[in-house]
Amino acid sequence: MSTTDQTTEPVDDPRPGFTDGPDGGSVTGWRCTACRHPVAQLVLYCPVCRSPVAESAFAPTGEVWASTCLRVRVPGRTPPFAVAYLVLDDGPRVLVHTQGDHPQPPGSRARVTGVADTGDLVAEPEQEELS
Amino acid sequence: MIGTAFVQGVGTSSFGRQPGVGAPLLAQQAVGEALADAGVDDVRDIDAVFAGTVFGAPGTAQRMLQLLGVTGVPVLTFENACATSTTALHEARQSVLSGRFERVLCLGVETMTLHFAGPITPEHTDAEGRAGLALPGVYAMVASRYEHLYGLEPKALAAVAVKNRRHGALNPRAQHGAEVTAEQVLASRMVADPLTLLQCCDISDAATAAVIGRGRGVDRDVPIAASALRSGELWDHRSTHPWGYELMARVAGEAWHEAGIGPGDVDLFEVHDAFTIGEITATEALGIAEPGGGGDLVLSGHTALGGRQPVNPSGGLLSRGHPLGATGLAQIAEAVWQLRGEAGQRQVEGARIAAVETMGGGTAGIDGNGCVVVVLGG
Repeated sequence: MSTTDQTTEPVDDPRPGFTDGPDGGSVTGWRCTACRHPVAQLVLYCPVCRSPVAESAFAPTGEVWASTCLRVRVPGRTPPFAVAYLVLDDGPRVLVHTQGDHPQPPGSRARVTGVADTGDLVAEPEQEELS
Repeated sequence: MIGTAFVQGVGTSSFGRQPGVGAPLLAQQAVGEALADAGVDDVRDIDAVFAGTVFGAPGTAQRMLQLLGVTGVPVLTFENACATSTTALHEARQSVLSGRFERVLCLGVETMTLHFAGPITPEHTDAEGRAGLALPGVYAMVASRYEHLYGLEPKALAAVAVKNRRHGALNPRAQHGAEVTAEQVLASRMVADPLTLLQCCDISDAATAAVIGRGRGVDRDVPIAASALRSGELWDHRSTHPWGYELMARVAGEAWHEAGIGPGDVDLFEVHDAFTIGEITATEALGIAEPGGGGDLVLSGHTALGGRQPVNPSGGLLSRGHPLGATGLAQIAEAVWQLRGEAGQRQVEGARIAAVETMGGGTAGIDGNGCVVVVLGG
């Protein structure tokens, strides 16, 4: 919920990033150098064990954990828009936007394909899910 | 340490979208009623004020209190999302038990229409808020996950709204006092799949108050048997439960332990039904139903007025509306009225023990900003 002045853009975008690559790209974040805990948001120390973290690239594929389609007005978005929690195969759980207004069902596979103009991670069903 | 702290008086303003009524006037309604209810004629008998507001400007509490003549005492302002004013009550109780203060005025206030025309705008410094995940979406994700784990029939979600609006029709303070049918609930506009409009609480402007103090041998004073407060643990890829469940369960467990009772001993509950799925997961986390059993619980009538353990006899947030910083004490007020036998047509017969649960959220990465469970009576 918002309590901040939304006319001022924050310096740091808290959302996870994405790097393109020949193998489909990767979601960028951080991983603990000791316990290997993955984090999608900028941290200085591991929130689990307080050890240092290092930048990390996570596989763009994963399993949908939960999903919905928002059909109400949200600043900067045009409803309806579908979102999902995606648990990356070797990484953290990230919030992604998916195409259309039909939420991708939990338990299905999805792949992060990039970042939308809004700065949101975008995912689509993995190829086998489309067949 | 004092043995027991008591709720000596409660009061509320009217609830609803009332943009022409500012926080000071709302507070005067609520505090005036609470002080009269407590039999406190002189505000100099108030030793401290623990206030709560989520969206209020700096100085909101003092700005209201000076018009009430409540000045010169410590004033602490709390913010804990939807659990803001139950957090204030929890801390007031601790202060009374410790002997720091003899009598504390708790005050919650929110003028939602000053800030929002509809759903609360997501926080753009939050990773998920920045991605557009408004609170209806947070709870819709809860429903999605819950359905994946246990199955979830739309009629169970609708039953929560139907029940609470039926209860709210008996509550003259409810913002939405009209009954609705399951068909109307499910046919109302979709907000965030699978939650329709009538499954979402409305925003509201209101103030609420409670006077917390030591025992004084007054029968109408209601003992606080237990209260527990925590913020959420990390909620990430390792978590399997829907958002908020583990936090609510942990806090409820602490409250039951302190009170020396279990959920089966409670006569009525006021729980955080900001969205229908919130009541279903809360009833499970509190231990009224097994995980996955919350839908059948509401469909069975167990939680309706006349049932074994009514949940939200006030009509809940779905009827009363949700003035965030004021909601927790509104729940407390209902519990107090019920335990005194002052709840009118919605009275739970023979009510001796009540439990209140408030859940606050909005921060990505943890299982809730804060949860409070309070056990009253006994």
